[in-house]
Amino acid sequence: MKKFLLPLLFLFLFLLESIFVQYMPPEVFGRNFILAPHFLFAGILFLTIYTGRKYGIIYAAIFGLLFDIVWIEIIGIYFFLFPLVTYLISKIMHVLQTNIIVAWLISLVGISLLELGVYEMDFLIHITTLDFISYIKMRFYPSLILNAVFLLVAAYPLKRHFESFAQSLRDE
Amino acid sequence: MPQFFLNKRLIVLLVSIIVLVALIGFSLRERSKLSWPEQFLKDTVGLVQSLVSKPAHLVAGFFENLQDLQNTYEENKELKSRLEKLVSLEAQVHELEKDNNELRDILGEEETLSDFEPLQATVIGRNPDRWHEMIIINKGKTNGIKKNMAVVTAHGLIGKVKTVNQFSSTVQLLSAMDPKNRISAIVQGETDVFGLVEGYDKEKKALLIKAIPSGVEIKKGQNVITSGLGGVFPKGLQIGKVIEVKPDQYGLNQTALVEPGADFYDLENIIVITRSMAQPNQSDMGESEGKEEDL
Repeated sequence: MKKFLLPLLFLFLFLLESIFVQYMPPEVFGRNFILAPHFLFAGILFLTIYTGRKYGIIYAAIFGLLFDIVWIEIIGIYFFLFPLVTYLISKIMHVLQTNIIVAWLISLVGISLLELGVYEMDFLIHITTLDFISYIKMRFYPSLILNAVFLLVAAYPLKRHFESFAQSLRDE
Repeated sequence: MPQFFLNKRLIVLLVSIIVLVALIGFSLRERSKLSWPEQFLKDTVGLVQSLVSKPAHLVAGFFENLQDLQNTYEENKELKSRLEKLVSLEAQVHELEKDNNELRDILGEEETLSDFEPLQATVIGRNPDRWHEMIIINKGKTNGIKKNMAVVTAHGLIGKVKTVNQFSSTVQLLSAMDPKNRISAIVQGETDVFGLVEGYDKEKKALLIKAIPSGVEIKKGQNVITSGLGGVFPKGLQIGKVIEVKPDQYGLNQTALVEPGADFYDLENIIVITRSMAQPNQSDMGESEGKEEDL
């Protein structure tokens, strides 16, 4: 039973993003912001920080591929960027000590890296023609704030869950 | 971090970049349908999504109802005033329809570009990435959905079917940036003006109709509908209203900014449209050309 808990949690985050976008009002605070949720990736980063690189990168690759096939229909963008950013974050965590505030900040750094990477890739293959300044104003900052708020709420439950998961791995 | 540039890691990185480019190239090319593992995965996720989306619809519906209750009085007043106009309009429409049918009978033409059959579907997911504006609906090949069909709401056109799986399909919204996405449109006025919907201005939230000759006068508030000339969409689907007209880069053409009639957000129930009139195939067109020469 416990084995299925982790995939189920990530599947839930995967679907939550879609539901969030579907029911979100088009205008927030009367401004034309584009809010992009990265709840799934935030979860993967927390998993990496609290249970180690191996699990993080495996989950990043699997859910990146799933994300690409189901939502984007261009295989490669998230399939590549999820594991890459996860790897970089795990490298950074070797230097820093793990506590919840550091984990929160580093996850936000990871999400910004992902956002910028996806923007650059989409710009290259002409999915978007939005220029960089408008992108930063319209999408980057608002999305970052949204994800920061989500992580503020979810950080503690995620940390508790992943720590107990890491403990059960060590016991085996 | 000197160990980052160790040989093994560098090789892994390079190989994965090559794989990445190959995969993107593979999926970017024009595909008539997805490969079966992709279809299988999408259908499986679609199944889970439709399970999850039902309670989500319920909760969202409850909050919407609460909001509706707040302005019921105002709305009621406005609707009553509109109802009076509607009665006379209905009589007029009836009259015109009868006229139209009679004239059609005389001409002997039964099918028109405007004929279509609607197919109801529910939105079960939306792309959270928000670069590729796409939604997933709960009807697929088994329900008779085909690629490139038009998708509308009560307020107007929202997009077209991009890919079809067995039990679900993906709809690309008009607000998505796709150079392959062109819709033939008519700006209704005293004389109809033809143009192509190409692209979406994210900052102004308006569709762009390009390639309108510069001599043509287009006013703010004119209605825009599909022309049915693209071969896939039926004629007469509402697209939106003109909000601005500006000359293009070189001053040869004009670009009209059109505010879409349908809201691209908060989509729940949509209608997929099947055009009744078949697209003529190449050999038929050759024949008809010959006939014209005879005349």
